Amino acid sequence: MAGTDLTILIAYGIALVLAVMITIGVWLSTRSRRPVDLHRLAEFERRWLVIVAAVLVALLAATIWFTPYGKSTPANAQIVHVTARQFFWQVKPSTVQAGRPVAFITRSKDVNHGFGIFKGHRFIAQIQVVPNTDSTLIETFQEPGTYTVLCLEFCGLNHHGMVASFTVTK
Amino acid sequence: MTRRLVGRYLVASTIILLASGLLGVLIRESQAGIGTLPDNTWYALMTAHGLGAFLGWAGFAVMGLSFWVLEECGLELRRIGRWLAEATWWLMVLGVAGVLISTLALHFAGSWVFLYPLPFHSAGQWGKWATAIFAFSVLLAGLSIVTWCLSILHTIVGPGLDAVKRGIGNRLGVALGLGYLWPKRFATASRPVPYPVIPLTVIGIDMIIATLPLAVLLVEMIVQAFSPSVHVDPLLAKNILWFFGHPVVYLLLFPAVAVYYTLVPKLAGRPLVAGNVIAVAWAIAVVANVTVWAHHIYIDYPDHSHQATINVLMQPTTFALVIPSALSLYSLGLTIYHSDWKWGVVETTLFLGLFSWLTAGLSGVVNATIAFDKVVHNTLWIVGHFHQMAIVNIGFVVFAGIYYVLPNLYGKPIWSESLGKWHIWLTFIGVNVNSGFWLWQGLNGAPRRFAQLPSGYEASTRAALPFVAMIAFAQVLFVINMVQTLRGVEPRAARVRVDRSLVAVEAAIVMIAIFLALGAGVGGFFLGRATGGSHTKTVPTTTATTPTVGSDAGKSVFASAGCGGCHTLKDAGANGAVGPNLDQAKPPLARVIDRVTNGKAGMPSFKGQLNAAQIQDVARYVSSVAGR
Repeated sequence: MAGTDLTILIAYGIALVLAVMITIGVWLSTRSRRPVDLHRLAEFERRWLVIVAAVLVALLAATIWFTPYGKSTPANAQIVHVTARQFFWQVKPSTVQAGRPVAFITRSKDVNHGFGIFKGHRFIAQIQVVPNTDSTLIETFQEPGTYTVLCLEFCGLNHHGMVASFTVTK
Repeated sequence: MTRRLVGRYLVASTIILLASGLLGVLIRESQAGIGTLPDNTWYALMTAHGLGAFLGWAGFAVMGLSFWVLEECGLELRRIGRWLAEATWWLMVLGVAGVLISTLALHFAGSWVFLYPLPFHSAGQWGKWATAIFAFSVLLAGLSIVTWCLSILHTIVGPGLDAVKRGIGNRLGVALGLGYLWPKRFATASRPVPYPVIPLTVIGIDMIIATLPLAVLLVEMIVQAFSPSVHVDPLLAKNILWFFGHPVVYLLLFPAVAVYYTLVPKLAGRPLVAGNVIAVAWAIAVVANVTVWAHHIYIDYPDHSHQATINVLMQPTTFALVIPSALSLYSLGLTIYHSDWKWGVVETTLFLGLFSWLTAGLSGVVNATIAFDKVVHNTLWIVGHFHQMAIVNIGFVVFAGIYYVLPNLYGKPIWSESLGKWHIWLTFIGVNVNSGFWLWQGLNGAPRRFAQLPSGYEASTRAALPFVAMIAFAQVLFVINMVQTLRGVEPRAARVRVDRSLVAVEAAIVMIAIFLALGAGVGGFFLGRATGGSHTKTVPTTTATTPTVGSDAGKSVFASAGCGGCHTLKDAGANGAVGPNLDQAKPPLARVIDRVTNGKAGMPSFKGQLNAAQIQDVARYVSSVAGR
């Protein structure tokens, strides 16, 4: 794990620890019954709304720029045509160069598929492959080697067997 | 009368839980290599498990509990409402039965989201009748949701609401809690609208809006099963599916919130800690719920379509939906805070449910963020997220409801409180650890909806099995307890009440144990991966001896070009069933070269993807090992 998946793991881990601490706090509080100012707590809910909204806006502002959308194919891009059918991929050409952007122009001939690129267990990128229309995924590979393609949208009987690979050379 | 109706919902949904839970155990075991099922059977069971557990158990159960909630709020079902509630029950039972028939008997395996046009591309596994019966059954379940919404709304706007003005719009506004913001305009005579009514009104309105387009799509699918010339744009169909698919998640959550709002104050012995601002949260919910669907298709962005724009716009609306959850958790948590919370089986269940709502909600925020979703989409992370949400949040509301309502319903106390606690704790631990494995596997690139996972995940999948068994065992305890209760067996003597601090310490220990177990599993996963094979292809590599020189190269071409997706070849561990079985066909060298180069019928030409040498290699390999 490295990159976004590690970020998710750390962020979720921290959030989980906080959640467990808050939960145990409320749990322990029931050991002693104590009158609390319910009215004040209810009033404070307004501030809680502001806090939550602020956190959400911050998270939105921090993440919304990292979408995979709207990239135009660079002039020096290597074009790879990907055709998906139940239950195999055709990746033409199946060798690309490292360091130069690759535009995978994907299209399905039957049902929805998911073009998922992996290096070992490491997830690299994915795009949904929609029937009869092009979907383009642009990715630059730095590391030479063999990359695996798995189908990431359930497509029927041999969905799990819909595997291919391509090579990235120096 | 309402109570008997609620009892029927709870009994039917519990039976569906046991059936669909069993299917879940079977597919999880098969994935771990124990009692391996044929691929199509696996996907058919997955389809039945998903729809059964989601709609037939959790959805159905909270739909029933909603009638009880309304009665507790002083809103009685009237004649039309009762009639609609009866119709809802029958439509759902028939719908679930139809799903079971079309999947288990007729082999429909298009998954429970039946992503158009997959139901019409069965790879020879199921026929048009299976698709039609499946679509019709889902349509019945959809109609059941609509009749439920009408029943709920009809009951809510009744005299019990206490609205001053008579207009239907005004009464719906009162039921949405707008009186908390504009007391004059949405006036009530003697009391403001009870809080539990608000989420029920929200979902009652939204599910009608969300279900109707899907109903049209389902009718189209029934027609298309018999007249293949009828079509829908696949991308439009995806949007329609998720326009329903997101709100239907909240068909589970919002009534569950209504149950929390009802039970937590009762058991804490004080009113719900809620400011008027909670009405703001639900006003956001009623709009956002039907404007967030695209977060299920963040990875869809075909060239020259507007999907990417829609996706970007729906990240903020999805975030807005965090607000009703965040405010509700605030209200419910502080209602319990320093209260006289007794930690019986109902209290424990609700408390653990709230905890799970928080944790599963946090993993949901990850999915809601495009920058993160592009990594976890359609991985087992998602599966971990929603099983946590569905079982230990929504499901725990259902269990708490049953443990609370049943004694009142039949006037018989719970047979054994302590057995109930065992049920809840074992389920809680089992589900959290099992989901923890899924979250972890997902972050490590394990895809979802794979009958056979790629190699490298065996250790963690097997390590999760004891926890799956734990969940199943816990439900056996639940059934025994309920049967004994309904039979009216004398309740077992409750344990002497232990000091609360001991309970708290016990709880802390259990929580630590969960994390330790999770840690052990993660360690096992690393160990398994270090000692296991590398993750290069899905088909298990066999240890067959190399027959001729050059066949190693051919074998790797066979794997990398995806030949095994369609063809069976024992030597390569391939069991595709679309094209000819190569072990039976035993094609000679020249024929393989010709077919791979030029294609024939369904088989495309691989010229351009494979070079001449690679075609030679794969042909030599296939012709030498086929039939061995």
